[in-house]
Amino acid sequence: MLRYPLGKQGEIMAQITVYHARNIITMDKNQPNATHVAVRDGRILAVGGADCADQWGPVTHDSTFADAVLMPGFVEGHCHMMSGFIWDYAYAGYHDRIDPDGKLWRGKTDIETVITDMRAYANSMPDDEPLLTWGFDPIFLQSERLNRHHLDQISSTRPVAFLFSSGHLMCVNSVVLDMVGYDAATNVEGVMKGADGAPNGELQEMAAMFPVMRRLGMDYRTKAHQEKYIHQFAKVCVRAGVTTATDLFATITDQGLAELKRVTAQPSYPVRIVPTIAAMNAAPEEIAAQAHAVAAHSHDKLRLGAVKLMTDGSIQGWSARVRAPGYVGGQPNGLWNTPPETIFALCEVMQRERVQMHAHTNGDEASEVTLNAIEAAARKHPWPGARHVLQHAQMMEGGLFRRAAELGVCVNLFVNHIWYFGDQHAALTIGEDRAARMDGCRSALDAGVAMAIHSDAPVTPMGPLFTASCAVNRKTMSGRVLGPAQRITLDEALRAITLGAAYTLKMDAEVGSIEAGKRADFAVLGQDPTAIDPAHLADVPVLGTVTGGHVTLL
Amino acid sequence: MSVLPRLPLTVIGGYLGAGKTTLLNRLLSEPHGQKIMVMVNDFGAINIDAALIAQADGDTISLTNGCVCCTMGNDLFMALGDALDRCPRPDHLVIEASGISDPAKIAMAARAEPDMAYGGIAVVVDGQNWPKLADDPLIGAQMRGQVQVADVLLVSKTGGMVPPSLAVRLAALSRAPLMDLADLPQVAPVLLGGVAPAPQPGALPGGMAAHPAYVGWSHQGPEQFERRTLEALLAARPAGIYRLKGHVLSPDGALEVHVVGPTVDIKPAQSDSTRMVAIGLASQINRETIAAWWASAAA
Ligand SMILES: [Zn+2]
Repeated sequence: MLRYPLGKQGEIMAQITVYHARNIITMDKNQPNATHVAVRDGRILAVGGADCADQWGPVTHDSTFADAVLMPGFVEGHCHMMSGFIWDYAYAGYHDRIDPDGKLWRGKTDIETVITDMRAYANSMPDDEPLLTWGFDPIFLQSERLNRHHLDQISSTRPVAFLFSSGHLMCVNSVVLDMVGYDAATNVEGVMKGADGAPNGELQEMAAMFPVMRRLGMDYRTKAHQEKYIHQFAKVCVRAGVTTATDLFATITDQGLAELKRVTAQPSYPVRIVPTIAAMNAAPEEIAAQAHAVAAHSHDKLRLGAVKLMTDGSIQGWSARVRAPGYVGGQPNGLWNTPPETIFALCEVMQRERVQMHAHTNGDEASEVTLNAIEAAARKHPWPGARHVLQHAQMMEGGLFRRAAELGVCVNLFVNHIWYFGDQHAALTIGEDRAARMDGCRSALDAGVAMAIHSDAPVTPMGPLFTASCAVNRKTMSGRVLGPAQRITLDEALRAITLGAAYTLKMDAEVGSIEAGKRADFAVLGQDPTAIDPAHLADVPVLGTVTGGHVTLL
Repeated sequence: MSVLPRLPLTVIGGYLGAGKTTLLNRLLSEPHGQKIMVMVNDFGAINIDAALIAQADGDTISLTNGCVCCTMGNDLFMALGDALDRCPRPDHLVIEASGISDPAKIAMAARAEPDMAYGGIAVVVDGQNWPKLADDPLIGAQMRGQVQVADVLLVSKTGGMVPPSLAVRLAALSRAPLMDLADLPQVAPVLLGGVAPAPQPGALPGGMAAHPAYVGWSHQGPEQFERRTLEALLAARPAGIYRLKGHVLSPDGALEVHVVGPTVDIKPAQSDSTRMVAIGLASQINRETIAAWWASAAA
């Protein structure tokens, strides 16, 4: 039985817990390192040595973390709650990946392994269930392209569909082709044919994929905000040491909002969720009104009110809007998802209505147009604290970063691309020069831009330490260092995944560092990331998290 | 095979302000006799006569003539699924593509989906601003792309005549029939096509396509075609037919045919006779030409 101390008025005071750790990396200049942190009522009371909270009254010492290292809970400024429900599907990707329950899914580095692994998995499923997989990316396999004959070897009786990691492609087996009636006579763009004139199983773009998705129940619209998947998402976050995470292009329904509110409010729910509304398919005024309406539902662990713009496509899909000299293979410039005229209209209304914007801009032309739009909006409706964020912003260079700094616009760079796609960018998309400066953390910081870095999970796995390692090392999959001049220091990278990301969510006064008054959000690590060779930063084990004083250990 | 008739999908493309919603407002208020479902991004510009509204709730407006208008949300394709599952299924689905999007990416779903029929892509071209948009360094390629995939080009804001320079530019990009919206007495025949084949051969039933501006032709018979032969026949159709649809018997089972502008879509079907309907503009084609073309193949 705990005895609570009484305050001056005789009221019960919350208990003070003093955690002892091997090292506490605070990200607070005033006291960069400590051994103890005191927590009361979900907030940090004091930081320092064993006696740090003695002036506050009786304390309880807790040695749960005595062998661990604490950092501020990591902040993932760009990911998607889809990371939770995607694990309903079997993982068929190239890289090792760990699911929310801690099971390791071995990477499949050739088609034979894909077939044997997935056949074994299918055999463990009820007979009538379709086998749906995710994470497969043909870009990493040197062999022949995946086709229906491969998938027929997995099963010739149940539907098999592989959703490729880009989201724009899938491959299906013959059972599925029959189900949707695709045959040699089918003349549909995106239903790919083999040398024999029959569909080879590969389906490109939504129109060709839709009949399959409709029949196999692949409807994602409301899934992310269902209770089960809100919890699944939390597991993904805890494994990565993340205590604040975004859902950066959310469709918010009344029911989904009610679920999000209820589930995240549970004291044991370990993540602060920041959903941003998709600013598409409605008039800007309506979007702003919805942002304000949902903002009223915010609480400690649910932050609403920002919106997400979708301006262009992706660089590796050659659909990003890039400036001269364009794509290295001579591909035509990419596509706007939102026309510049509408980007300007959205920026003006959001700025006027005080709605923070996160804008997906992959190509440098998209970043530039969005900066132009924000500048025009800011001239009409000054709002110094707007902190709009260019998301991905992969091709920004010194000039655009300096403009962002002038305008008070933040960037959240997709630095995981350096490892996953850096080789492809140098060889196939934008060429050596611009690949070497892409996701240019050094240029951003030197220009004085507020910067975060991200995973875009589930596009790449959530793991802020891995993301930090990409920013520090800039190693690609082939082992080369891509653009060494853009490397940043370990301290800068750790700041980007904590305070830096918190700043882009306007939560830096609350989370992102371990100092008195802030929320007791910690990442619990098995190793000290500041005491190892930075080449191994990504291997630092995550043991769990603390969120508002609530401990979740793996 | 599904017991419900296929749901035809027509996609309306065109840039912001080109006149897509004006076109939809027109369509919804015409006496076409069909239960159309119109999907838009937002109701903002949709301006339905209050007298026509039977019920409005959240994302759906039901009209007294049986049509509905709804918003599609952030997942257009899943919204297509909702339209297919709607009970009763609408007679025709019309989607307003967003200003910058490629309408072909949506319309292709109607060719892929066994339960849908291809209703074509109508692109609204702003008669005044299009040339400027088409030359815009940022969006020009996407503007020209919309015209390239169109099955029918509807020019708005012409003030009585499509400027010849515009017509030439459009013709260089597209084989689709070009129409001045101001000249069209009704838009339903262009956007939806004809109604069920007429009982008496050679003429369409009354109603929309009976308007003197349009030529309707219908045919019913026992003839059969190999798929290849049919494809060749359709490829040689007379210019001026902008819609052609129906069922054709073939040795491997019946085929359902949907032709809109330059696009031909064929899917397997069930039918006990060959039945075809064609529509064109009276100023461009007559019934005899169509009948002669079909008869030449049937012979
Ligand atoms: Zn994203």
